[in-house]
Amino acid sequence: MSGLDTTSLAVFGVIATLVSVLAWRHTRATTVDFFLAGRRVGVVTNAGAICGDYLSAASFLGVAAAVYASGVDGVWYATGFAAGFVPVLLFVAAPLRRLGSVSLPDFLAVRFGSDRVRLAAVIAVELVILSYLVPQAVGSGLTWELLVGEGIAGLSPYATGIVVSTVAVSGIVIIGGMRGTTWNQALQFGFLLAVVIWLAALLWSGGFSYPLAVEQASAAPLQAVVGDEIVEVVDRLDGGAATFGEPGARYGPVGQLALLVTLVLGTAGLPHVMNRYFTAASGAAARATTVWVIGLAGSFYALAVMLGSATRVLVAERADEPWLAALTVDGVLRVPEHALLVLGRLLANTPGMAIVAAAAFAAMVSTIGGLLLAASASFGHDVVARILRPGGGPREPVRAGRAAVLVVSLAAALVALVVEPSQLLATFPSLIATMVTWAFALAGSALTPVVLLGIWWPDATARGAVAGVLAGAAVAVGALLVGLVTGADPSDGIGAILLAPALVAAPISGLTIVVVSRLDPGPGVTVAVWTRMHGTAHDRQTERLARMTLRGGR
Amino acid sequence: MPRPESGSRNHDRLDEFDAPAEVAAAARTQRRIALGYASLFALGIFVAPVLSMTLPWWSGARLTGGMSPGFVVAAGGLYAFFLGLGIAAASLARSVEVRMLGTSDEEDARR
Repeated sequence: MSGLDTTSLAVFGVIATLVSVLAWRHTRATTVDFFLAGRRVGVVTNAGAICGDYLSAASFLGVAAAVYASGVDGVWYATGFAAGFVPVLLFVAAPLRRLGSVSLPDFLAVRFGSDRVRLAAVIAVELVILSYLVPQAVGSGLTWELLVGEGIAGLSPYATGIVVSTVAVSGIVIIGGMRGTTWNQALQFGFLLAVVIWLAALLWSGGFSYPLAVEQASAAPLQAVVGDEIVEVVDRLDGGAATFGEPGARYGPVGQLALLVTLVLGTAGLPHVMNRYFTAASGAAARATTVWVIGLAGSFYALAVMLGSATRVLVAERADEPWLAALTVDGVLRVPEHALLVLGRLLANTPGMAIVAAAAFAAMVSTIGGLLLAASASFGHDVVARILRPGGGPREPVRAGRAAVLVVSLAAALVALVVEPSQLLATFPSLIATMVTWAFALAGSALTPVVLLGIWWPDATARGAVAGVLAGAAVAVGALLVGLVTGADPSDGIGAILLAPALVAAPISGLTIVVVSRLDPGPGVTVAVWTRMHGTAHDRQTERLARMTLRGGR
Repeated sequence: MPRPESGSRNHDRLDEFDAPAEVAAAARTQRRIALGYASLFALGIFVAPVLSMTLPWWSGARLTGGMSPGFVVAAGGLYAFFLGLGIAAASLARSVEVRMLGTSDEEDARR
């Protein structure tokens, strides 16, 4: 590890800790303050924090890796990730905030008036969080392995990266709560965006032409490294050799449809992202926040796609440099996730790589922070405060939430330590993005249908909701397990559906909710809940109070 | 579902409140609008991969350098489409809320 690498990571760690301590001094040990930052997060700060939450290792390292490995087929990861916020804006953001809950399970429990719904949602939420945490931990391990190359206390470099990120983020969340995590996430997203803009500026200042780079990358058949061998990527559409600029390198028709549906549906069911909407001041603010997110995330992904394309060309041109030769076979990267890190070094030597690595850690840390906080809220508030000890004091859910952070982060780290990335890379060329897709599949199958129907169909009942959540989760988990155990081909056909199952599992979940609700003699939504969820009284009151405060301040 | 009764009110804190019948009507309108925009969104996002499989020009033609129409749309055009659609949908949803909800407060104040 060079002194510069150490410095960049140390500076990043010190800033994150300072922000958390500062937030801790402003946080009271109450549910609304610890889990919701007092519901006073501004639109742009919240948009930055949502982007920080959402743009994980899968986005920062994974999108560039997917584009590097699969050309235009890899671009669909970025498109799907960005597209996921459009349904959130259209159907979810404002009503979700207006009901005024603490977590996604809490929202569903209030909407359906049932603790059974709460419990079913907590199970689904914890599954999603765990499956989302593992790829972040894998990303930490891979980044540490490349950047530092050495382990601590007898651990391998990969294991050290996992342990360091797990300990650091658990500390940040336990100390800072939602306020500290929000500030950290907003700052970290600003850093991520600045880094991709900086890399793009370095490229352009060196005379880079995006269209010519795509032309150059598409001139020869697309190649990949499997083991130590270089192989030509097969075109899944017509069977010939795939090229960078044309579809077919990664997906057949079913594979592409399954991926898109999974990513588009998954976002509205991601607990760590949806929980952020409860921190907005009003429903209108939640909606405005989502518009900002679509703009910011779109800008980030468009640049990440360009950087992945540029890396394809630059690595091939400069593969004979000794440091790069160790990472490549015949000018092709062994691990596509290294694409952005390598680009940083190609453009700005070792400092460039150190800065990109710090940004990669920021991406992982901010997402892990959001996930741990969501796990903390669903356990502390939904399980302890609402089900196990409803009469407990206000500090009890916070203490339980902090304990949940430790348990969940430890579980994710253990799973990540067992995963052997080198074994999986042959089947999944951009591993982190692929693993995150599994979390999207779970969220989109188990939670999105019940959220959408709960908000917009007043006749949906609690029994219907429980049946829908469990059916969606069971089908998605079952499909993923069958797909992984049988080594299904993720690119097309039945294998693609098994490994991105929301295409089938979400309709099954939705249909289950409708059928069971129709057969259920129980009541649908109450007038009070419907009015609060779709009314604007609270928004108007917030705006009125804000106007009064402004007048009083003059 | 117990349908909202016209005239009954859900009092919120301070003096802001919504009439359930107004909220039910506004929610139906918002649902129609959201579904309309969602259809447009689905058309935008799914037409690109369909074109890449059915229309050779979509992937084979070159607009600039090595970029085909399909590449340009996937790598940049769709993000602009999402943002434009989002701004339009948010503006319309907001104006529907302003037009359909909260009017009872003003009427009460005038009385």
